[in-house]
Amino acid sequence: MSIAVLGVNHRTAPLEVRERFAHDRREVAASLGRVLAAGARGGVLLSTCNRTEFYFAEPAEGVAESVWDLLSERLGGSRDAREYGYTQHDRDAVRHLYRVSSGLDAMILGESQIQGQVRDAWEVSKPHAGPVLHRLFQSALLVGSRVRSETGLATGTASAPSAAVAVAARIFTQLAGRSALILGAGDMAELAATCLVSEGVRVSVVANRTYERARAIAEGLGGGTRALTLDEAWEHFATADIVLSSTAAPHAVVTWDRVAPVVARRRGRPLCILDLGMPRDVEPAVAQLENVFLYDIDDLQAVAAQAAAERRRDIPAAERIVGEEVDRFWAWYGGLVVVPALKELRDRMDQVRSAEVDRVLRRLAHLSPDDRAEIEHFSQALLNKFLHSPTLALKAAAQAGRGYGMLEALKRLFGLDRRDDA
Amino acid sequence: MVIIPHLIAVGLYALAAALALAPFAGMRPASRPVAIGVPLVGIMAHAVGLTRLTPFHGVAPTLSMLALFLMILQAASDGLFRASAVGVFTGPLATGLVGLAILIGLAPEGGAGTGQAPGRSAWSILHITVSVLGLAMLALAFIAAALYLLQFRELKARRFGPVFRLFPPLERLDQLNHLALVLGFPTVTLAVLLGFGVRDGGAAPVDAAQVVWGMLTWVVLGWAVGVRVVRHWAGRRAAFASIASFTAVLLVYVALKLAAPGTQRFL
Repeated sequence: MSIAVLGVNHRTAPLEVRERFAHDRREVAASLGRVLAAGARGGVLLSTCNRTEFYFAEPAEGVAESVWDLLSERLGGSRDAREYGYTQHDRDAVRHLYRVSSGLDAMILGESQIQGQVRDAWEVSKPHAGPVLHRLFQSALLVGSRVRSETGLATGTASAPSAAVAVAARIFTQLAGRSALILGAGDMAELAATCLVSEGVRVSVVANRTYERARAIAEGLGGGTRALTLDEAWEHFATADIVLSSTAAPHAVVTWDRVAPVVARRRGRPLCILDLGMPRDVEPAVAQLENVFLYDIDDLQAVAAQAAAERRRDIPAAERIVGEEVDRFWAWYGGLVVVPALKELRDRMDQVRSAEVDRVLRRLAHLSPDDRAEIEHFSQALLNKFLHSPTLALKAAAQAGRGYGMLEALKRLFGLDRRDDA
Repeated sequence: MVIIPHLIAVGLYALAAALALAPFAGMRPASRPVAIGVPLVGIMAHAVGLTRLTPFHGVAPTLSMLALFLMILQAASDGLFRASAVGVFTGPLATGLVGLAILIGLAPEGGAGTGQAPGRSAWSILHITVSVLGLAMLALAFIAAALYLLQFRELKARRFGPVFRLFPPLERLDQLNHLALVLGFPTVTLAVLLGFGVRDGGAAPVDAAQVVWGMLTWVVLGWAVGVRVVRHWAGRRAAFASIASFTAVLLVYVALKLAAPGTQRFL
């Protein structure tokens, strides 16, 4: 039995690599199905703009190969995803997920958006998760909540959407009264739009591939926001002050050819383009246009990272909570493993006892029924005495989060079958 | 005693410059009352010292006055535009100008403080004061333009270091540049008119170099204002125009000073 995580994140892979690994919700089931076919008792795929991670319960040996093959295929060419990846097992894997959900492992320390992303990953992967990962992800969400409520790790404005506001505020004297154009209807765009609106920015247009979704967001924002399709949006680059883009398009939709002629009509007025898309929605060449300031998700996260510096002093308290919760989970997990193992040990020993008693009693056929019962009783008492200390030790170890290690020793000493082989 | 207020001023200006520069070195920024209070106390001490230099004989009082106006404009920029980063330029510049004035000699031979100061009409003193104020405004426009270009470069290059964090927004710097030019032009116009009045009225001798420099400053500033107001230049182009204008005025001044050296005239 084991828990494992394999993946890449913002520390191990650059944006252009992470873009290729990022999974749309619709792709999760197929990818999980493929890697779980190599053998595991459950899997969850967590894919955000900063990380793509596969969590497994009891993975077979071929699972890791399957994951890296899958990711290498998405990378294309002859590149190997392993060079960007990492693998963690057991307590380290649990600790990793808890650190992710609490924002300790985020590019922006304490970022709260990851909490929702962990929840989404769990929801989407539920049919494949299995009981152990189900419990693990539930507890990860609780750990995230606990860290945020008991420490100052989530204070301040260190998220990418709030960084979008900070960047725009370095271009415009006042954000109040500025007009914004929203491209795409992703959660990130909606979140950033809400941040901008709270600063007094007027969202004049929401454009999306599907008009209905654009209209739903426009109605949610109110204030006379118009809904358009993407093809109708380009003209508005001439008038908007801020463009916020977060489409689900697999390639850049804001291209030089589409917007350069329109931007030329701005007479030098600055245009702030915030590209929150993954993959990026805006062609990098657009940044070369005069008075156009283009920022992608990495830029915004770099800005937010500065705010996160303030949060660093709360890291020890957050790590302490994570440590406590890892112990708690591991105790549960250890107990989960120990109970059936103890039963198996007792059954095995009882079989031996019973066989030996039967053999002895066959040789002592002259004994009275009372004597035979006494011998039977004696053998059971002896077995109980023998098993008492190991049972207590194993339960104590499980409660202390060391059950898994003790169990391995027990299996080796008594030649117990592995549960997964049963 | 004109030197002591000047020494106090130069010390406080140096401190103000250090306070303005400290956050760029990663140090904690000074509290706002301290950041504003230190230059204000320096301005008061400086004003006391400068009034004792009337009727402003020689170049040293002019340098001192320019420093004073720069610091006043810095305080105004900070108060009105929250543009404390202006102090990054004005602090060291004012410190240098006052220091240079002290080194040159605040009261040159035959000037104030020697008991032999020749008379200078009130119109002449007003001409000098207004001219230096106009020049200080042109300098402020230059500083705002320089800050704009630095911030522009950082924003374009997606660098989010001290300039990004500590400089004002681009648009505010553009507005500051615009205001400095728009207020500076009538000020310089008035200075030129006063200069002609002083020369024609015979209140003070005015040589050709002063006329050339005064007219050139007026024309250049007029051009910078013209492209902003009439041709609606803004942002980077307007910033380049301001920098070119100030550089031209400065280079012509240096050229004229080399052609006719001396510390007697205010030019």
